[in-house]
Amino acid sequence: MSFGSPYVTLPDFTYHKPKTIEETLGLLKEHGDEAKLMGGGVGLIAFMKERLMSPTHVIDVKDVSELRQVKNTPGKGIKIGAAVTLTELLEKYDLNGYSVLREAIGRIADPMIRRRATLAGNLCEAIPWVDTPPALIALDAEVEIAGPEGERSAPVSSFIRGPVDIDLAPNEMVTSVRLPEVKGRVSAFEKFTGGSEFSLASVAVSITGGGKRREARVVYGSVNSTPIRSSEVEDILDQGLSPASARKAAEVASQKVECLDDVLATAAYRKHLLRVITMKVLGRMIEA
Amino acid sequence: MREISINVNGRTRKRQIKDNELLLDFLRDRVEIRSVKAACWRGECGLCTVKLGDALVKSCLVLAVEADGKEVKTVEGITPEGGLAPIQKAFVEHGAAQCGFCTPAWILATNELLSANPHPSDAELVEATSGLICRCGTYNQIREAVAEVSGARHVSRAKEKFAQV
Repeated sequence: MSFGSPYVTLPDFTYHKPKTIEETLGLLKEHGDEAKLMGGGVGLIAFMKERLMSPTHVIDVKDVSELRQVKNTPGKGIKIGAAVTLTELLEKYDLNGYSVLREAIGRIADPMIRRRATLAGNLCEAIPWVDTPPALIALDAEVEIAGPEGERSAPVSSFIRGPVDIDLAPNEMVTSVRLPEVKGRVSAFEKFTGGSEFSLASVAVSITGGGKRREARVVYGSVNSTPIRSSEVEDILDQGLSPASARKAAEVASQKVECLDDVLATAAYRKHLLRVITMKVLGRMIEA
Repeated sequence: MREISINVNGRTRKRQIKDNELLLDFLRDRVEIRSVKAACWRGECGLCTVKLGDALVKSCLVLAVEADGKEVKTVEGITPEGGLAPIQKAFVEHGAAQCGFCTPAWILATNELLSANPHPSDAELVEATSGLICRCGTYNQIREAVAEVSGARHVSRAKEKFAQV
């Protein structure tokens, strides 16, 4: 019997299913602190079972049509509605200019989870081992937010303030994630899971421009409490991408990037993984 | 409490539920379909897999109220009257069910894969079923069962062994 025992049931709440952003903001205004927004629910439902969150109101945004849209404006970029699932994004939209994101999504959890999970949900969870935030930071993505005072946007890198801590007031909601398009950008993603569902280390790389104007972004995920950019590794790749610079970058990554010791892996093991995945991702970019 | 109505395997089921009930609870406790297993409760093992609308989902991560007015299929819904679907027969022949606890979920997932892609490669099978765990470890037999249905020329050691017994 599944009723009654802790960890398998959910706390009591009232379920809401608004149809518009306005209606959602109205519900947030009314219930703010007591409410949680739900996209796919894969994170929220798990959190509620563990009683890490016990909202008395759950606001399901799946039926908000404005949040289900993806707008691709060639030359400008792509705007992904907060309720678009990862599978929809992979199957229906051309993410060719954003391969780091496509690769990260393709390896998240499993197809059943990806059919429910959303990018905005990934960001709002701000769990250290989720793979899309590093990819989004490497692409200079921005989060668009609606609130009672109107709209604002924030770079993903500052939106995620800490583990399970985001720059979002209780009366605000994420409406979309915007990825700027950059001509000639190459990008790739790599991770190591050790066979479990959780990444022990991940890396997202994007390189734009050439020659002196070359600019690299290298973001490591799952090794610390938030995704971290490594300026040391970026400096090496700004000089050029070659087997020699890749080796140097991998070495520097394992020396300079701060890693956490936790139940999933030791810091020393994570540092070793950083070397391996940096080599792997750059090797693939050199071959391409 | 609120009343919801879910079409389960072609039958409309109306039940009073609480907003915080899972689709898994609805199916097992309210409708008493016990082929949907409750095991990890956190979306890792996939044994609560059902088809919601046109996609497979893990019903321990779906609220019952979300499925209101929708169609749900469990393994009973893909089993032909008085017989077995080809993939079910292949599971039996290849010994792909050991304790059988995960079998309904695997049947749903492999059946879904085969109807979308009649000749899946090993990699495609692994990817499509990466959300499922078989605690007995019958992955190889499951692969052989899928290969049999997809018509792949595959030397099946399990099937030969079964024939000798």
